[in-house]
Formats: sequence, structure tokens, C-alpha cells
Amino acid sequence: MSLRFNRRSLMRGLLGGGTVAMGIPALDIFLDGHGAAWADGKRLPTRFGTYFWGLGLTDTPNGGTRWVPKTIGAGYEVTPELEPLRAVKNKVSVLSGFRVIGDGRPNIVHWTGHASILSGIAPAMTNRMDAASFDTKVADTIGGGTRFRVLDASASGKVVSYSTRTGSAFATPETTPTELYARLFGPGFQDPNRADWTPDPEIMLRQSVLSAITDQRQALMADVGRADQIKLEQYFTSVREMENQLALGLEKPEPCESCVVPAPPKAGVKAASVDTVNANTKTMAKLLAMALACNQSKVFNFVHTPGASETYMAGSSKIYHQITHDEPTDAALGYQIETSRLAGQVMEGLGAFLNELDAIKEGDGTLLDRSLVMAFSDTGYAKIHSIENIPIFLAGGAGGRHKAGQHIAGKGEAVTRASLTAQRIIGVPVSEFGVGGMRATRPITELMA
Amino acid sequence: MRRIGKAAWVLAASSLVLGGLTVAAKTAWAEAAAAAQAQSVTIGTRRLTESQYRHAIADILGADVRIEGRFEPDRRDAGLLAVGSAQLSITPAGFEQYYALARSISAQALAPERRARTLPCQPADPKTRDDACARAFIAKTGAALFRRPLTEGEIASRVRIAGAGAERAGDAYKGLELALASLLAAPDFLFRIEKAEGDPAAPGQYRLDGYTKAERLAFLFWDAPPDAELRRAAAAGELHDPKGLARQLDRLAASPRLQEGARAFFTDMLQLDHFDGLTKDPASYPKFSQAVADSAREQTLRRIVELLVVQKRDYRDLFTSNATVINRQLAAVYGVPYLSDQAWAPYTFPAEAERSGILTEITFLSLFAHPAASSPTRRGVKLHEIFLCEPTPEPPADVDFSKVQALANGTVRTRLIAHMENEGCAACHRVSDPVGLALEHFDGAGQRRTQENGQPIDVSANLNGQSFAGAPGLGAYLRTQSKIPACLVRQVYSYGVGRATDERDDDYVADQSKAFAADGYRLSGLMVRVASSPEFFKVKLPARPRPATKVAAAATGDVGGVQ
Repeated sequence: MSLRFNRRSLMRGLLGGGTVAMGIPALDIFLDGHGAAWADGKRLPTRFGTYFWGLGLTDTPNGGTRWVPKTIGAGYEVTPELEPLRAVKNKVSVLSGFRVIGDGRPNIVHWTGHASILSGIAPAMTNRMDAASFDTKVADTIGGGTRFRVLDASASGKVVSYSTRTGSAFATPETTPTELYARLFGPGFQDPNRADWTPDPEIMLRQSVLSAITDQRQALMADVGRADQIKLEQYFTSVREMENQLALGLEKPEPCESCVVPAPPKAGVKAASVDTVNANTKTMAKLLAMALACNQSKVFNFVHTPGASETYMAGSSKIYHQITHDEPTDAALGYQIETSRLAGQVMEGLGAFLNELDAIKEGDGTLLDRSLVMAFSDTGYAKIHSIENIPIFLAGGAGGRHKAGQHIAGKGEAVTRASLTAQRIIGVPVSEFGVGGMRATRPITELMA
Repeated sequence: MRRIGKAAWVLAASSLVLGGLTVAAKTAWAEAAAAAQAQSVTIGTRRLTESQYRHAIADILGADVRIEGRFEPDRRDAGLLAVGSAQLSITPAGFEQYYALARSISAQALAPERRARTLPCQPADPKTRDDACARAFIAKTGAALFRRPLTEGEIASRVRIAGAGAERAGDAYKGLELALASLLAAPDFLFRIEKAEGDPAAPGQYRLDGYTKAERLAFLFWDAPPDAELRRAAAAGELHDPKGLARQLDRLAASPRLQEGARAFFTDMLQLDHFDGLTKDPASYPKFSQAVADSAREQTLRRIVELLVVQKRDYRDLFTSNATVINRQLAAVYGVPYLSDQAWAPYTFPAEAERSGILTEITFLSLFAHPAASSPTRRGVKLHEIFLCEPTPEPPADVDFSKVQALANGTVRTRLIAHMENEGCAACHRVSDPVGLALEHFDGAGQRRTQENGQPIDVSANLNGQSFAGAPGLGAYLRTQSKIPACLVRQVYSYGVGRATDERDDDYVADQSKAFAADGYRLSGLMVRVASSPEFFKVKLPARPRPATKVAAAATGDVGGVQ
């Protein structure tokens, strides 16, 4: 009785959500045998994540770039602001010269850039996107079969995520290492390598609680308007995610060779200075990486600092955002000195993040080799809110599908081409992404294996 | 290859099922529309705020039930979270939290020491199901939580949960606990689902149904769900009758719970939720701490409740009064002695402290500043947005910043003058900066100072042709501005109905503002007049659902992509 109930609710979650492959890898009928699927390197899951930081990198219209490599293709040189990526350079592709094409829509400062990268449309207003962010499509494609279809985290203490299904309701991130740890490894976590696993009988009781809610769905949706329909769809999608989580709790988890349950992190300091944000980034990356290795999730969104970043050098009275606008370009050097110093600090965060993924051995490589991380920002040259030459990185081998370690020069092409490429590398079945001047139909094939 | 094939199959199957659901929903809508007047129509949904949720649990299950969890962040639209709440849904991470709360709260409510209080009956046999008792409990508690009577289907499904759970666990109370958790995780509890029905007095027109009216009233005045008396009045149709409505309004406004309503409203209007993400640079402001931030927020709310609800004073006094309450943490930042042995004590600032009015509190001064510096622009922008209902447009993207350069010394005024000389910036900065510069005797943590980088700070300002100096001058200036009370009217109305006002509401706001003035600018009078006006219950039918949902269309498209 219990098993039938469990499978049924799993399938209901699967079909009702319009989502893909949920639960399938954990159902033993699709596996060759217990453990073999995970022990065989080829079958290790591929993961996807976005990484956002605010205020771009430093360059000026008259040259003086601090980040764009001179050479195209493989073997690009490490420019000053890319220095923190040196250790993983061969696993990171640098995408320069891509821009937002607004088709007459205004440049909404510190919003249009990343909203376009994620949704494919220059947004009409701030804090809203005109379409779902594409990470949700990735989550629907590869995020199933784990406790969390997607994980969201923010390192600067700000409650900010740019992941949205509706365009107006955004994901809720964990904002401290302690919160993230509790969600990942607190109650509800099952150590996949535990020998003495037994299903928790309480789970079936918890499942029954949700049945009355899904039973009322039709009555509730019968007389709602358009906007409410979208909101309630999102709510019921969330209920199904919970049902899926509970159903997985009744399955014996597959062992994961790289999974080592981490110790709880020390309570962090609440501050927005760049050293604190980077320390949080490193700790949270360690937790996220282990959550991926323990098969708790396959998709994440990480925000180092929001657009118009308010981070600062500890003790300095000016925030990064203000400095990008106020600081003059040094006549001799051709760039903003303090701005570039902060950009370098902010990139330390990305470097630390990728290094953590690369530190976990998995199969014949590392977790980073099995992942694709798309890192990007809100602006190009921040002093003038430029949405041209927005720095974008694709990091990680994506299980052999990303020809990493190259510099691609976009030459003014739409940022959506990068987004399409990421989706195609990770296996989202899309043939195009974006609308109008940003409709991209050709992925960057140089990056695809 | 096999992987893609499988994915395609699942996609195809899921889009079929979704398509089916969509058709069902569409049919149901058509039927609802056809039955027109008799049927009710959902005109909007608003997610409960954290404080509304907390008040609901305290009222219905007891104030001693602990609510330990994180709530999904709210969203501010047109200056108010109450307006943004109409845009919000519940994300998977958020539902996890609501679901964990539902389990924890129901376990507490049905624990041995509380179950007698929670239940209207006692299960006949504690070891197994008692459907009659379950039904009585679910109907009673469900009506309080859903803020309307439950349908038979809603009751029956929970009676089944309670029965099956009791049998499986061998414990009647465990079954009831599951049924309660199911109510607490339901959309009907977590969202305010506003409904309209045919208006018998005006055929072809809609009116809000009684329970929706009760809900708007209770959340506006008490920040809590309707109590039993208000639900009774709704059921009896009394809220459709001006006299019946007036009786309830008198009761709501006279209750001490109005203080909770005022706290919730001003928490929203003053954007005190920004405290959640507020950090200060410890090297620059060593006295600022989480305890100071929490105390500052509490000080603001206590001052408002005392002035506007307890003393029923003129709203405009909020900008000039130097009487407040402080505690030990705040005294350190304000630089005044704390002599009381109580947690909080009244305190009146002397004139030379320049602390007159709500703009000179740590709350406003620290919230709208940088981590290690003040920000006249931010303070000016927020003052206009919050108290004058004049939002500042987004800065233009293509500003020439070449003239706006950093200055190693001097005061912030020098830097901002550059903004005012720059055409692209001037239109907004000429409005935002003067009021901010008048507050420059207070640093980014709200501490008083008279110098910056060794230079004396000039706090003189000129706005709309009027000159004033410093915070007291600014407060006195604002007190005379008719936009100040008119903005409060606008905010109260928007907060109550969950919708931003637009130009079509201008006449209404003007009339209400006149009445507000005639009444001496008393808050409770304003709330009663707004809530008894027809505009407060006005029905705006929503746009009908699209023929097919976006999700289904996307799924189908994706399958095409694979092929």
C-alpha cells in the first residue's frame, strides 16, 4: 500500500508540473543496478548554476580594458581582473563583446543587463522580467530526481535572486551559510552513503496533508483571473515540489562516492564589505558543492552581490557603486584605479566559488568538470551603465560537453547567444532564445563538444 | 539518445496533461461567467504578510504557539508591500518553510497541554478516529483560518486525513494534527482570496462578498484576520448595510488592537523591512549593532503609536515633535544619558540636539544611508517617496559622469553641487538633495555631528522657493505642506485595498484629504472614513485567463525543439 501511494504521488507530481525527468534517475527500473549508475563516470549527473555579481568589470570606451584578453580562442592570457580565475583558467571560457539590444526599450540601470541575459527580453520596468528566467528551464530539464529542483543563495546578506517563473515573483535565496546548511543538511537530509537506511514512516503521514490541498485545486482555479491563475500555478508547482521531496524520502538514496556530509559552518558576520561577502561566498560554495555531490540538487543560482552593488572595502566610506560613477579615469593608466581594485576583489569571489567546485573529486575528474556555471553581471563599463561588453563566463566541463578555456569575442552580438549556448550545452531542448533584436538561434558552436 | 527520447516522452505527456487541465480550467471559467450573478468571482489574491500570519496564529491557536521559521520576502510596489503582496506567489523554497511551519504549529496546538484549548470536543477514543469531533474541529478552526466557512468538500477531505492518520498512528490527536497542518498549508489560508458576487441592489454589477469585506476591514484595523463577531456580521450580510458596517467600524477603531494595525501600516509605509538587510561598517560606526537596529525600529513604532493612536494627535506633529521613547542601546547612539531602570523610557530632546520629528530618528537616518557614510540623495529620495508620495524616476542610463568626480576632502555638499549643475541629473537632484542636505548633521548611523573631513557642515537648504536650515527647519517646512497629509490618505487607501492609486483616484484622495484636515488630521478618523467609503469595497474584475497557459505552450515548443 505504502509503495503504491508513494509512486502514485510521485507520478502525479511528475505529470502535473509540466516538468521533465523528475524522479526518474532515482527509480530503480531506470537504473542498471544499485550503485552502478553513480559509480560509472559517464552516468554522473550534469549540474548547472548561475553566478551573478554586480557592476561588471573595468574597461573604458577608449581601450584600457582590465579584463578582456587580447587573443581569441584557447590559451587566452590572464588579464589583471581575471587573475583570481588563474587556477581554473583552462575550465573557464571568457565571453566578451556581447551586448543587450533593447529594440527601443530604455536601459533600466542595473537591471536591463542581467534581465536580458536571463529572460531574453529587455525588460519594460525595473524588478520585473517579461519572461521566465532561463535557469528555470534548465531546472525543469535536469533538476529532477533530487530533493531540490533548484537552490538559491545570496552572499551579501541581501535577499536577492534573479530566478523567476512568473517574471514578478522571484526565488527566495538562503542568505547566510547557517541558513544554507540547515536547508541542505538539516532535517530531511538523508545521507546517501548510510548503510542502515530505513524509510521514515512519518513521511507518508506528511504526504496525506498535501493531498487535501491538491484536491481543492480545481475549485480554486475555477473563477480566477489571469494574474491570479499564474500565481496559483506557481503555488501548486511548489506543492508538487514538496510532494516530490517527500516521495524521494521514501526511496533509498543511491550512494554517492564523493558525498561527505560537511560540519555546520560557524555563524558568519553580518556585513556587506567585500572581504565578508567573499568569505560567505567561499563557505556557501563549499556547502553548495557538497549538496551537488550528495545529489541533493543539480541546479543552483548564486548571487555574490546584487546589481548596483553596495559592497565596499572594509573601513572605506564609499560603496562600490558610488566609486564606479565618481572615480575619474586615470589619465596615465587609462582606467579607474579604485574601481578596478574592487572589481578584482569581487572576482576573488568567483575564483573561490569555482575552486570549491573543482576541489571535489568525482569520477575521473572534479565536480566542476561535471558542471556548467554561467557567471555574468549587470553592466559592462559601470561608470556609464553600459550594457555593451557585459562580462560573461562559462565555467566547467559540463560532463565533456563544454570546450572550456577559450575566449570568445562577441563583436556586438546579443547576450542571449551566450544564454542559448549555455542551455544547449546543458541539454535543454531549445532551438532559440530571446525576442526581437535579441532572438538568438545559433549557439556558439566553438564552445560545444 | 535514450536520455533525450525519455525526456521528450515525459514532456509530451506532461504537456498533454497540462493541456487537459487548462481546458478544464477554461471550461470552469466559462461556466462561472455564464452563471454570472449567482456565482462568485475571485478578483484578486494577496499573500499574507509575516505579521498577518503571526497574528492569525496567535488569535486562532494561541499566542504561546511558537512560530519559528523564515518567511518568503515581501515585495514593494508603488511604495507599499501591501500593494506588492498582490503580485506574490509562493516559491518552492517558500512552500518548504510554510509547510514546516504548518507541521510545527499543528503539533504544538494538538500537544497534550494545549489540545483541550484547541479542540471544541474530545475524541471519544484517544486511540482512533472520531469523525464527528474531527468535523467539528475542522469546520470551526478552518473558518477562522480561511476567514470564511469551509465547503463540504474542504471539510470532508480533512476529515478523511484525520481519520486515516488516526488509524495509522493509533492516535486520534495525531490525525487531527495532520488535518490542521493541511489547513495551514492551504492556499486559502496563505493567500487572501478576494471574491465578488452579484449585487442584488444593482443588477449586472458586482460587489465584494461579505467575507472579503470583513477581511479587508480586519487586516486594515488590526493586521489580523476577522474575529468571530466580524465573521458573524459578514455571514448575516450586515457589512452590506451602512449601519451594520458603521457598528463594526466603531468596534474596530475603539479596540486596543488598533495599535497593532497602526504598527503594521507604518512598518509598511516607512519601509522598516529594510532593517532586515541593513548592515553598517563596524570600523566607521562601532556603536551600531543589531540591537541598535532592532531598538531603532521599535522606537519609531512606539513613538507613532503613542502620538497617533494613544494621544490621537495631529499626524503632522510626527515631523516636529521632539518627544520620544528611548532605551539603553539607543541612548548610546543618540549620545544622551539613560537614567531609567525600565526597558523603555520617555525622553524629550532639547532644542540644540536638532532631533525634532521622525526624520531625525536613527531609523530614517540609518536606513537611508550607506554602510559607512550618510547619503543626502537617498534620504531625499525616500522622504519624497514615503511622505510625499512622489517617487523619483530611475536615473538616466547615459549620464555623463565626467564632471562628477571624487573629492578627497570637503563635505558631501560639494560633490552634490556637481549633480545639480549637470543637466541630466539636475531635475531630480534639485528636488532630492536639499532635504537630504538639511539632515547632514546626522551621519550614516544617525549620530549627530557638525563637521565632515574637518569642515563645518552647512545644513541650509532651499526647496520650492522656501529656505530653511537643518532638521528642525525641514520638519517645520514639511508640517505646512498639504502633500504630507494627502500622501497619508493615499497610502492608507492603497494599503487597505492592495492597489496603487492612479489619477482616477485623485478626486477621492482630495475629498478624503479635506475631511482629514477638518478632523484635525487624526489617524483613526481617517481609517474609518476610508473604510466606510464605497471606494474601499469597489470591485475591479480581473483580466480573464489566457486560453492556454504559458507553461503548456513552452513545453510543447520544447518538444518541437528536440525533434
